[in-house]
Order: sequence, then structure tokens, then C-alpha cells
Amino acid sequence: MAWYSRLLAGQERFIGELSSSQQRLLADWNELPPADLKRSHYRSRYVVVDVETTAVNAKADRLVSIGALAVVDGLIDFKDAFYVSLANDRVNAAASPFFVDRPEASLAPADAMLAFLRFSGKSPWVAYHALFAGKIVAGTMAKDLGIELRQPWIDLAWVMSDLFRDISDDAQWCLDAWLDHFAIESIQRHHVVSDAFVTAKLLQITIARATRKGFETPNSFLELAKARRHMHQSG
Amino acid sequence: MSNSATAMLVSAAIDFLRAYPPFDRMEAEALRFLAEHVKLAHYPKGARILASEMGVARTLHVLQRGKVRSKPGGSASVEHSAVTLGPGQCFSISALMAQQPSSTVYVARDDVFCYDLPADDFFSLTQKSTVFNLFCTQHIAGLLNQSQQQLQLQLAQRAGEQKTMNSPLGAIIKRQPVAVGPETSIRQVVELMAARHLGSMIVVDAGQQPIGIFTLSDVLKRIVLPGASLDQPIASVMSPAPLTLPLAANAHDAALAMAMHAVRHVLAVDEGGCLQGVVSERDLFKLQGAGLRQIRHAIDSAASIEVLQHARNDVRQLSLTMLAEGVGGQEMTQFISTLNDTVTRRVIELNLDRHDLYGIDWAWLSFGSEGRDEQTFTTDQDNGIVYLLTDIMDREQTQLRFLEFARDVNDDLDKCGFPLCKGNIMASNPELCLTLEEWDERFACWVREPEPQALLNATIFFDFRPLYGKFNLAHRLRLSLFRQAQGNPLFLRMLAQNALSVAPPLGRIRDFVTDADPEHPGTIDLKKYGVRLFTDAARVFALARQVEATNTVSRLKRAGGLMHIRPDDLAASIEGFNFLQLLRLRHQHFEQEHGRPGDNLVKPDELNEIERRVLKEAFRQARKLQARLKLDYQL
Repeated sequence: MAWYSRLLAGQERFIGELSSSQQRLLADWNELPPADLKRSHYRSRYVVVDVETTAVNAKADRLVSIGALAVVDGLIDFKDAFYVSLANDRVNAAASPFFVDRPEASLAPADAMLAFLRFSGKSPWVAYHALFAGKIVAGTMAKDLGIELRQPWIDLAWVMSDLFRDISDDAQWCLDAWLDHFAIESIQRHHVVSDAFVTAKLLQITIARATRKGFETPNSFLELAKARRHMHQSG
Repeated sequence: MSNSATAMLVSAAIDFLRAYPPFDRMEAEALRFLAEHVKLAHYPKGARILASEMGVARTLHVLQRGKVRSKPGGSASVEHSAVTLGPGQCFSISALMAQQPSSTVYVARDDVFCYDLPADDFFSLTQKSTVFNLFCTQHIAGLLNQSQQQLQLQLAQRAGEQKTMNSPLGAIIKRQPVAVGPETSIRQVVELMAARHLGSMIVVDAGQQPIGIFTLSDVLKRIVLPGASLDQPIASVMSPAPLTLPLAANAHDAALAMAMHAVRHVLAVDEGGCLQGVVSERDLFKLQGAGLRQIRHAIDSAASIEVLQHARNDVRQLSLTMLAEGVGGQEMTQFISTLNDTVTRRVIELNLDRHDLYGIDWAWLSFGSEGRDEQTFTTDQDNGIVYLLTDIMDREQTQLRFLEFARDVNDDLDKCGFPLCKGNIMASNPELCLTLEEWDERFACWVREPEPQALLNATIFFDFRPLYGKFNLAHRLRLSLFRQAQGNPLFLRMLAQNALSVAPPLGRIRDFVTDADPEHPGTIDLKKYGVRLFTDAARVFALARQVEATNTVSRLKRAGGLMHIRPDDLAASIEGFNFLQLLRLRHQHFEQEHGRPGDNLVKPDELNEIERRVLKEAFRQARKLQARLKLDYQL
């Protein structure tokens, strides 16, 4: 199957071999129909993602853990939540103050990414400052699974800075500023699950505002973020 | 489905919930179940979270953050009845428990996050957790209390006008006192008294402190007879140092003071001793009319129909007061019946003075709701006479004497507020003024040939109860009725079938069937489709088990025991029946207050959530009684 053995320009080469069960998982995911991004927010499943990395430089970064929560039909279901830490970065991960050494949550990178894909399905990913999360996830997928992702990422930072212009139109506003504004409490700030949770709450608030302003679908979020970023860059 | 992310989120939810009742006391396992099954929902400011138009409540909302405003729905909602809910509070338990739309509207006041629990999981939780179950039950009970309080509030105003001997003088005084200075001439004072229809005039000093009183009776003794000059100052003829009491003293104190000092007026003064009002002996006299004992006494000693007419008004007033005080449906109907009995007996006694029935054994019977001790505010006459005919008496002539007597009693009862029966079910009807043998024969005939009219008669006349005269005649009549009923099993079966002809108005889809009467859509006739279901079933039970009682509750209690109905079930049926009666009384009172004849047509949509739920339960109880009839008679 050529699609996962292809070389990726400028990225680390995929050199590993996937086991047959890993290949099957990947194939299963690949065969999922793409999400319909033109349905209402309240009929859609979003996967809100937060990542933890070894450093802040996206180029040299390695993924340590992923926390994710689904927002389904506008609701957060605690049972539809995900956490994984990557075993190859055990040393780095253990250095993280939030590292929990749980065998079931700590997986080899390929298995971790497969588990994440399985949890996500083809639901659109949402992150605050998605560019960073997207790059690091795409990089890990390429390195450990040998695939190039075409999954859409919705950047809540851009979407919120547009929809809540009355509060702040600065897309560089940090997450904490929004959390402060909406008085959203964290469970354990900087833990990926907790951060994904508060981001999911921001998504809920954003969905309500967007719906009132006529942006009623995941697609409208994507376009909103694209247009805003474009405007920002050209302006 | 355990994973570490879920575990973290669930334990955070548990930590939150544990800070609020009833979750703080909830069993650990149940709390975990709750936290695992909720979904976190966000509602923007102004969003309607729950309202009746959303249909049957499907979710329990536990407020996690933000504020929610709840206010009664419908057009009659009052602004001040709105309540603001904060974190940790739940809604709407009652709508969920009743599986009905919420009659309260819940609106987010700011960005609101709620833990939403689906109805199925809510019911599982009530089963898993005794703490939560208790909380929900108490919540419902609390609402029932509130609805009762609301009713009491409505009626309290009415009752408030009924002041008692415990009322403070401040509440009794009806008008501003009229006072004059000591130098005012007698002529001016008397003119003022005549112009304003005053029984007394108070004389005050410059500081408004009463220094004397001058009453109408003084005019005769101190002015007319001695021939005093009308130009003298009032101070020369007034009674000095009048009796005063503080405003806070009550009517009892005033009565006592009047008795001790042999005066007819007491002046109410404020703390500074300034005149605030005058209380006369007559004012106090009026107050005494209120109590039950007084009313009974007034009725028992009434020398004329006019007095009884007044007494009937007092009965009405007092029953309103009782309704306001939260007296139950059974007590109320029994109370009304008892006092109506008293009035009826007195009317009979007054008429016996004019009609000589000496030497004849007879009894006055009441039928229908009066026979069952279940009268409401609107009631007409249902009565008859039974008498014994001895060999030496002429039947025709005796009946004539009774009919004349009965006609007078019926007319007097009509004057006292018991309208003549349109169906002519009255003692003055020759068909209902019969000897014991004739009544026996009539009853036997209905029992032997239970055609529709006979069954209808059975539902009215078999609930007979003696009111005056030789009660043992009624007892003998009842025993022979039992004998007849036992000997004709077909009759009881037909009577049971007749009792089943009306089903409780419970809908398959909607809660209630409200279109039985095309002229009054949206209503339920609580008599025809409610109370009657119970009375009809209870009558069959009682006749089959030879229970002498005519009152529905007594019949259910006594016959139910003989039928081995579980005491819990029996109590539930009785509660259902009493609730229907209370709703009827309330409705009739409301209708009459608004100048309409009190009917029994209640609109379920206008009841609150709890009342609708209890009403539904009452109808279910009626259905249970009917099921028992079906079983007993294989119908």
C-alpha cells in the first residue's frame, strides 16, 4: 500500500514496519467516511485536542501526550474522552509534572497515534492554536505511521477572535485570557485532558455565539478561521 | 469504558457535586453513577433551558455554573414568584417525576453550564440512591406544601375579613374616631352625632388625649330629662375618664373591660395615649358570630327561619375559613353536611310546632350526596319521609298530613339556601313520602328488576340516611335492602356494570381526556368523571358486604377491610377521592366568588404540575376500584 510508505518531504522518514493488526486499524480508519462538515454544530461531533510536547519549538518537538474530548451534538460526554502518553518519550514524559505512569495510557508511538485516530474517527479536530498541535500531530503521524493527514483542524484562537471581537480580536490571546474572561475553571491546568476540557467548554460557548451570528456548521468555522488568518496575514 | 481521561473528568464532576446537597450525602457508588452519566451542556445567556413547549421533561439539569431564573409559566405568572437558581441546584425534579412538561420556565441568566442527566438515568439513580430518592420525594412534598400554601394565601384574604375575638383592637376599628374639644357646645356635638350616625362622641384635650365620652343614651338622661341647655360645653355632661386600652389589646380584653366597668365603649389609644378609635359592644358582638360552636348554638336555638338564613351564611363563611386553613376534602364535606344537617333539623323542629305528628313513628331521610355526608358548596335538596302505619290510622289521611308538613319544610329549606330539587326528589313528593312497607316494596322492586331507571334510583336512594325522627326505621329499611340484594345477585352485577359505564378520564397519549363535554372543551367534570366513580364503586362494595355506612370513605374503609384490600391501597383510594373533593370545593368557591354558579368543570391545564400529578393518581385509583369491580363480577 503505497499511501503510507511514501516519503515525506522535509520530514523524518517512515522507516518502521506496521504489524498486520496496526495496518488493519489504519485501514479501518481510512475507510471511514469523511465527516459531513455542513451539518449543524448540534448534529456534529468535534474532537477537541490538546497536546503536550518536549519543548516549545515545533520543529524539534516530540509529542509526549495527547488529551482529547468529544463535543457531540453540543454536549460533552465524559465517557467520550481520550488520553494517551507516548512510550518512546518515557524519559521526557516522566519529567513532566503531569506524567501518570499508567500502562494502559502509555503506548508505543504508532499504537498511541492509532488509538488517537480510532478515538477521533473523521471528526474535525479543534484546538486552541491549532497550528502548533496540528504540526506536531502530523509530524508524529508521518514519522510513526507513515501517513500524511488531510484531516481538518479548526483553530479556536482564530474563530474566537472573530466571533468575540467585542472582547478581544487578538488571535494571539492566550487560552488563559479566555478562560479568565468566561470564568472557566480548570481541573488541573496544563494537563492535556484538563486543557482539552476547558477548550471544549470554550467551544460550547463559541458554538452558541456562532449559531446566533449565522455560522451554524463546522465548515463555517473552517472558513471563518481561514478568512481571518488570511486577512491578518495580508493586513 | 474506563480510561484515564474519563476517570479524571468524572472525579472532577464528583468533587463539584459533593459540595452541594443532596449529593454531599449521596452514596459513593450512586454519586459515581451520576457523574458518569451526565453530559455537560452549555446554555448562552437568555436561552430557555426548560419550558412547557419543549414537551415532557427528558433531562435533569444540575446547574454547574451560572444562574438560572425559574418562573411559573402561563399567562397568570407573577413577576415576584420568579426564583434564581445557582450552582448545585437541580431542575425540574417534579416535571421529571411526573413525566410531564414543566409548567415552570427556566431561562439562563448568563453563560450557564449544566450537568444534564437523561430521564432514564435519573430514574435509575432514584432507585440506586435512597438519599436521592428521599430528596426527590421531599422536593415533591415541598411543592405540594407550596401549592397548599398558595391556596391558603388566596383564601386567607377572604378569611382575613373574618376577625376573631383574638384580633387586636387595631384590626377591629373600622373608621377614624370623631372627637371634639371640651369647649364644644352640646348642640354642636348632638348635631354632629346625628349627621354622622354616631353612637358616641369622644372628647379630647389639645393633645388628642381622650378626657371624656358622650353617648346617645346620655342625651336622654343628662340633657332631655334634666332640661339642660344645649349651649353648655360638652364637658359639663360627658362621662369623664373614659375606659382606654392600647391598640394591641385584643377583643377579649375589650369585652372583659366592658363587663368589669359596665360600659359599652372602649377607646383604643396609641402608646402616647392619643385616641385611635372606638370599639363598641356591638362591634364585639359581631365578632362572636364566627366560631363553629357559636354557629351550631345559633342554629339550634334559632326561633325563626330568618335566623336560620343568617346561620347558613355563617356556615358558608366558616367553611371558607376552614378551606383556607387547609382542612382536607373529607373533613370539609363532612363539616358542611353536619351543619346542613343541623339547619335541616332545626327547620323540621320549627315546622313540627305547626304540624301535629304526635304518636306517629316517622323519620326524615336524606338521599344522594347529603345521604353520603358529602355535600359541597352547591347542593340542592334530596329528601324523603318514612313512617309507620298502624291499624287504626288511615293511610290517605296520614300521608296527607306528612305531605303538608314536608311541603313547609321543603319551602323553608329553600329559603335557607337549599334550593328545591329540580328532579322533585323531596319529601313533599307523594312518591317519596311512604310507609316503611312501601319503601321496602319500592326498593325490592328495583333490586328484582334492575332496569336502567331502577339502577339510577339505586344510586340516589340507596344512600339514604336518617336525619330526624325514629332512626331505627331507617335501620330496618337498610336491613331489608341487604336481604333483597343478597337474594338477587344479578342486581349487584348490574349495579357494578352501571358503575363501570364511566371510565376515568385518563388519556393514552395525553394525561387527561378533556373533551368529554363538547360544550366545555379542555375541562373535566370532576363529579361525573371523578367523584362519582368512587361513590359508585363504594356503593356496590357496601351493598355486597352489608356495610351500613353511606359515606364513601366509610364504605371504602369498612367494605375494603372485609374484601381484604391492602390498607395501603385503601388509603391511596381514599386519598384520591378526598383530593377530587377538595379540588371541587376549591373550584366551586372560586366560581361563586366570581358570581358564577359553582360547577364541577375543572381545567387540568390550569392546575400546577403537582396537582395535575395528584389528579392523575386519583383517576388511577378510580381505575383500580373499577378493576376490582370487573374482577368481582366478571365484567
